[in-house]
Amino acid sequence: MSASLFRAEGLVKRFGGLLATDRVELTVEAGEIHALIGPNGAGKSTLVNLISGLLTPDAGRIVLDGRDLTALPAHRRVACGLSRCFQVTSVFGANTVFDNLLLAVQAHAGSSFRCFGRRSAETRLHERALALAHALGLAEVLHRVAAALPHGMQRRLDVALALAAEPRLLLLDEPMAGMGPEDSAQMVALIRGLRARCAILLIEHDMDAVFQLADRITVLASGRVLATGAVGYIRAHPEVQAVYLGSEAPA
Amino acid sequence: MSRFDAAPSAVPAADLAPLAARLLPWVLLGLLAAFPLLAPVFGLEYWLGFVRRLLIVMIAAASLNFLLGYGGMAALGHAGVIGVGAYTVVALVDAGVGSAWLAWGAALAVSALAAAAIGALSLRTRGVYFLMITLAFAQMLYYLAVSLSTYGGDDGYGLYTPLALGAGVDTGDEAVFFWVVLAIAAAVFALFSRVAASRFGHALMGIRDNETRMSALGYPVFRLKLAAFAGAGALAGLAGALLASHNAFVSPSLMHWTESATLLVMVVLGGLGRRWGAPLGVAVWLVLAELLKLHTEYWHGPLGLLLIAVVFLAPRGLAGLLARRRRTA
Repeated sequence: MSASLFRAEGLVKRFGGLLATDRVELTVEAGEIHALIGPNGAGKSTLVNLISGLLTPDAGRIVLDGRDLTALPAHRRVACGLSRCFQVTSVFGANTVFDNLLLAVQAHAGSSFRCFGRRSAETRLHERALALAHALGLAEVLHRVAAALPHGMQRRLDVALALAAEPRLLLLDEPMAGMGPEDSAQMVALIRGLRARCAILLIEHDMDAVFQLADRITVLASGRVLATGAVGYIRAHPEVQAVYLGSEAPA
Repeated sequence: MSRFDAAPSAVPAADLAPLAARLLPWVLLGLLAAFPLLAPVFGLEYWLGFVRRLLIVMIAAASLNFLLGYGGMAALGHAGVIGVGAYTVVALVDAGVGSAWLAWGAALAVSALAAAAIGALSLRTRGVYFLMITLAFAQMLYYLAVSLSTYGGDDGYGLYTPLALGAGVDTGDEAVFFWVVLAIAAAVFALFSRVAASRFGHALMGIRDNETRMSALGYPVFRLKLAAFAGAGALAGLAGALLASHNAFVSPSLMHWTESATLLVMVVLGGLGRRWGAPLGVAVWLVLAELLKLHTEYWHGPLGLLLIAVVFLAPRGLAGLLARRRRTA
């Protein structure tokens, strides 16, 4: 039990009268891709925000690698190895891809309170940003302005920004959102490639992608965990089928 | 932004333009440095004081441009911190301090502390709320100054003895004080340019553009903003201290909220977040105001029209307009 890389224990979050997260238990093992699915309004985004620290839970604990992160603000959690992407692409649109990557890399290589040295002179930072670009297939668009990139590329950049932290656990919040089949296939390949770098908690609507990628699946409905298990178990689970898969045409 | 990966290099024919653009600041600096010597020759003594005030306001505007243009913090209380600097000088002079460097240095430190305290509270809010709370703090400082009867209250405080600059010179020497102000303004400008290109500057611009993403990237957003707020406050306070010496007088009207608003207008006019935004905005605004005052009592009108025109026709300010012209030329 305690061997899990990541554990969420009894997470509760209320918004007024709405119980958005209801005693959620979740574990992610090292090297695992754990998918989190559920119908709209099931509380997936709330859960991601609780885990990443954008929201504070009303009860429960978040533990990564034996370390309790519950009391830490978002940026400290990143330093502890918990990094995230955003459902709505969240890149620095006015900047080039390279400047985006530099900014992400800078957060984890030395102090950002240095105000005199020119950042453009820091070759180590540039090397790391470049390595990240190569790893994620962004080398060819390095000098393009991020906002001008096609959607799929922007999503890719979003993932790259999160990876700069070299996380132990990466939270991907609907990485395929708004993607065509071609881009989705590329993103699936990319995520599969990330498995060697870190464990992944994948929130995704695209069932094809989830069944291809996930080792285990947790189904969320009305803020509660409905079922957790291997892909086959979840596909065959009658309640899951009733609540979710039945309405969304399973693969 | 980073020059390391600059876009495809410019057309060879335009090679001279960037060179001219790079030399221009130095030429300007040289001309300004020569101004105290040339002014008496051309009968422009009056303008010596005017340009000195211009340079001091530029320091304050550069500080606001850093805060708002680079840091995205829409503070409407800059005059409050400027006043803290000015009243620090008043307090020290009143206590018998005669050294300009000591008084100005203290103003720098005290206003940094004041800004840090104001920032620690107000930076927990965003947008309009931040604007309102910084305004509220500035108004509190304003009324504090009004109530300080030791320092003249509403009537202000006259600094009758010029502060000593060392080597037997003091701020009463028009030319020397001009050079000192010019040197300080140039140093402040260079400092801000330097900081904008640094790690800190990049982090700050990232926060301006997308605060949530920055904290998800692992940046200590609050502390970075607070550092910027305190730093900008320190230099605003320095401007206040210089203004105190320049006017040989300090009154609460220096801290009135309309002063913050005018400063904001000048920065927007020059170009928010643009390197040359603050000096350009201050120069154009104050020179126009001065010239219009010579001809009409109703000098606010034309300036208002100018501001409206800039907001609609050149939303990136005059500096943005010039940069675009140069690029397309």
